[in-house]
Amino acid sequence: MAGFTPARPMPDRLPAAGQTKLHARGTRPGEKRAMTALWNTIAVAFGLVMAFPIYWMILTTVKSNHDLLAQDPTFWPTHFDLSSYRTVFSDPDFLNSMRSTAIITIGSVIAGLVVGFLAAVAVARFRFRGRNPFIVAILVVQMVPLLTIAIPLFIVLNKAGLYDQYLGVILAYLVFTIPYVVWTLRSFIVNIPVELDEAAMVDGCTRWGAFFRIILPLSMPGLVTTGVYAWIQAWNEFVLANTLLSSNGKRTSMVWLSFYSASPTHGADYGSQMAGALLVSLPVIILFVIFQRRVASGLTAGAVKG
Amino acid sequence: MSAIQSDRREQGVERLDGPFPAPKGRRRGVTVQGNYIPYVLILPAVVTLIGVLGYPLVRVIMLAFQNVNSYLRLAVPSLDKWIGFQGFGRVLSDSQFWSVVERSFLFTVEVVTISIALGLGFALVLNRVSPWAKIFVSTVMMFVWAVPALVTGTVFRWLFAGIGGVVDYIFYLFGGSGMRNHDWFANANEGLYVVVAIAVVWGALPFLVLGLNAAMTQVPRELVEAAKVDGANPAQQFRHVILPIIRPFLLLCTSLSFIWDFQVFAQIWALRQNSPEPGYWTVGVYLYEEGFTSSHYSTSSVISIAMILLMLVVLIAYIRQVVKIGGQG
Repeated sequence: MAGFTPARPMPDRLPAAGQTKLHARGTRPGEKRAMTALWNTIAVAFGLVMAFPIYWMILTTVKSNHDLLAQDPTFWPTHFDLSSYRTVFSDPDFLNSMRSTAIITIGSVIAGLVVGFLAAVAVARFRFRGRNPFIVAILVVQMVPLLTIAIPLFIVLNKAGLYDQYLGVILAYLVFTIPYVVWTLRSFIVNIPVELDEAAMVDGCTRWGAFFRIILPLSMPGLVTTGVYAWIQAWNEFVLANTLLSSNGKRTSMVWLSFYSASPTHGADYGSQMAGALLVSLPVIILFVIFQRRVASGLTAGAVKG
Repeated sequence: MSAIQSDRREQGVERLDGPFPAPKGRRRGVTVQGNYIPYVLILPAVVTLIGVLGYPLVRVIMLAFQNVNSYLRLAVPSLDKWIGFQGFGRVLSDSQFWSVVERSFLFTVEVVTISIALGLGFALVLNRVSPWAKIFVSTVMMFVWAVPALVTGTVFRWLFAGIGGVVDYIFYLFGGSGMRNHDWFANANEGLYVVVAIAVVWGALPFLVLGLNAAMTQVPRELVEAAKVDGANPAQQFRHVILPIIRPFLLLCTSLSFIWDFQVFAQIWALRQNSPEPGYWTVGVYLYEEGFTSSHYSTSSVISIAMILLMLVVLIAYIRQVVKIGGQG
């Protein structure tokens, strides 16, 4: 990808593109329109199939138990019945689990951002002995399967008295938040012109002052993007939460959902299972919708743009 | 964005006191003084990662050579014994371990192949559709992307339920009357290679379609047009123009998919209501069952090490690829 500059659709190029189209054989306007219609149909069909599980989850939550037990499921709601939501909210552990997840997620995102930002500044602004090993280590750390460290983390936190404590899970989540924050923020900080740091320092700012007065505010977009993604990862995490927390009131919402939908009372009650599934995913879905462009580019940026 | 670029900028920092005619000795003194700064900055990250990752990994290796196979042994460390490679011998001679490994590889290859093929295909389709269709598909993708893996498993258990499941009903509507109340999970092979695979592919597609499509938008339009003028058919255009440009990202996606799918856990866990039958055990589920359900901490650690070793080739390829892309202009 190094050879050429990435082309952007520039308006002044359009006439040229039109010219080449004239030369291309077998693409009459009518045929082209038919092809586009075909591709549109395929794309819409694909979108509908992909959307169906989510639609079905939401539809199930507003169906009555009677409808759910019917032999032939209907593909649209006949009448809205919110009793599934009532069942979920009447489970005392549900709201507790949402609170636990919020505490753990906020704690690990903030800790990850603070620690990760400092390391990202070091990697982006300094050349020091051990820099490249540090970068490679960050990459390697991201790839260690969480399952393989679940048992030793359980043993270590147990010994430290942090088993079944929020703090223990927050610390455990730093395993994946710190590397991600360092790796992503690094590219944001590199793009902040170093001349700004210099100018601040010429004006009498200390080097540390430049970090906090220049780099920190300018990397806010990066901090938001990485924060959102770290939030999503922490909110959705299941394996570590399942192994490091044991008391009912402290379980995260994912663990709550897994226990709820396997319990004898609700194991076959798909209305409330789907209501629970929807409610525990809502905080993440809302974040995704608000930050969708940023999150999508943040996730693919590292790979496409380097 | 690259390491090279940042190096140049760092030199900019070093030149900082250029405008001030400072004596050479003092200048060197300042940089020597400032040398501690990067180390202070990375210290919290290094300490935390050693604590929550480095030490646990050392513990995994220690456990693998010990006999901590009950909660009692864990609680009373004086009972622990070093047993050398005995633990490895026991796991490697266990036929269940090898069937789990075989199942994991088959499942991973199946899911990676399908999801990469579909991802590439629909990324190409998205390149040719009208803007409204692209917005529609991208919006759906964002919602699917946001669904947690555990929720995916729960939802797909309901879709494929034997009683009241909509998939059975759709089959029935299209004439498969024998599919009514079909139990997809009774046969573990069908449950794993069909239902779990569909659930995992569904969850993986948004990243692949949007990512590959983003990579394809980097392909200059002029190049495709030029190939068309030269008489290249769509297959040739893809093979000789688009593919070489998206290859780095495609390799990255493939190795990432392999790494993710090989450790699949939450979907299987939710699809089988927290107690997957042995026929559903992939490496991740197997080591969890051994470690937490049976309290065989040492056996589970041996399996953990085996799991990392089995992924090592792909892991190294992935990291090399990231470093390579990161080092380009």
